[in-house]
Amino acid sequence: MTTPLRKSIYVGFAGLSIIGTAAACAPTTEAPATQTTSTQDGGGATASSPSSASTSSSTAVASTGASAYKDGTYSSDGTYTSPNGQETVGVELTLAADKVSAVKITVHPSNPNTRKFQGEFASGIAAQIVGKDIDELNVSKVAGSSLTSGGFNEALEQIKSQAK
Amino acid sequence: MPHPGWSTFRFEGIGTQWEISTPDSLVDAVRRELLGTVAEYDKTWSRFRPDSLVSGLSRYAGRIILPGHAVGLQEVYSALYRLSGGAMTPLIGSSLERLGYDATYALTPSGSPLPPPRWEDVLDWEGTELAAKEPVVLDIGAAGKGQLVDLLGKQLLQRGHTDFLVDGSGDMLHAGKHPVTVALEHPYNPRQAIGTVELDNSALCASASNRRTWGDGLHHVLDGVTGKPVHTTVATWTMAASALVADGVATALFMVEPAALEEEFEFSWLTVSSSGAAAFSTGFEGRLFT
Repeated sequence: MTTPLRKSIYVGFAGLSIIGTAAACAPTTEAPATQTTSTQDGGGATASSPSSASTSSSTAVASTGASAYKDGTYSSDGTYTSPNGQETVGVELTLAADKVSAVKITVHPSNPNTRKFQGEFASGIAAQIVGKDIDELNVSKVAGSSLTSGGFNEALEQIKSQAK
Repeated sequence: MPHPGWSTFRFEGIGTQWEISTPDSLVDAVRRELLGTVAEYDKTWSRFRPDSLVSGLSRYAGRIILPGHAVGLQEVYSALYRLSGGAMTPLIGSSLERLGYDATYALTPSGSPLPPPRWEDVLDWEGTELAAKEPVVLDIGAAGKGQLVDLLGKQLLQRGHTDFLVDGSGDMLHAGKHPVTVALEHPYNPRQAIGTVELDNSALCASASNRRTWGDGLHHVLDGVTGKPVHTTVATWTMAASALVADGVATALFMVEPAALEEEFEFSWLTVSSSGAAAFSTGFEGRLFT
């Protein structure tokens, strides 16, 4: 019955474009490379409620007047339902002229492992991932697993409909 | 292909795509040999075919004699089983089947998550001899593909091919004088990479929790203690001398702290969590985009 505390993590997904998958007329590769500074709340007990005031957007893009989405900050939760409960991923996007200018992902640390992995990097160095288009890299081999995060995309879809 | 002018031999095996790249085209005899190794591995370990050696154990308790490579596989699996407190186990097959990932690809859970039996209770595996006290569903998927990468690399060396890249859909082994740059796929956007590494006489393996998503939360990486899917870490990459070790620890990183694994295995690692945070050891230092 208690509301889980939330730990906020600011993530810069460079090159992420919500429009790329939503509108045929929009360019897919020209999204502003927002790199919101990554800060991780210390202490683990900071209750951070997403609000537009707390979202920093360094790229102010002028609206051209033909936007498919209204400018603003939107948030939605995506969930993974696992047999032992749910893991919730909060996604907050700031849209400006149909481009994502800031992304913030909030994870509930109710799962002990979540808290552990977010809070501690015993032998590693914590960093935020930043994407670059593979087409622009001079590589012929890719290691990874083509996938989309169900929760992330679910939240993205809800935000798309909110922003209409 | 990893370098201009190199030749690539492509085929399908153990349910995935393979590419073996070499400076000179492989002759037919070598190709047949490689395919034979893949076929034998599948015939031994596949729990998706009723005629495989291990699928016999899912019907009856008993003893089987495995090929020589089982010695190395047993070593890696028993160490990871111990380090993960039972979470990483070759007996995970029954839990995977329970969640719908069975030989018929039902993809529909048949009940609530089921913890697999404990290794020490049902399995006696010494080298190439494996005995099951009750019917068990073995699944060596967490390290098997990596081992097959190694076996194919060994075969190439035996045939005089000292320069090669074996790529089993992202699990790779490189040998020779020409390092290969490999992009690390963005966990949320397959068109993007989050960094690159240079593969130089080493193996690189990747694992992701939602690589084979077929339902909400039912992912292919399961915790052997609870039989439930593991969350939070969304992707891992590892580099090691062998793809067997790299593959095994890439999966284990979903359940075990890197420091614990580093006490017994020599490898470099990179993990990305569902929050988008990356953590890594020195081998991946400076390789991520910023």
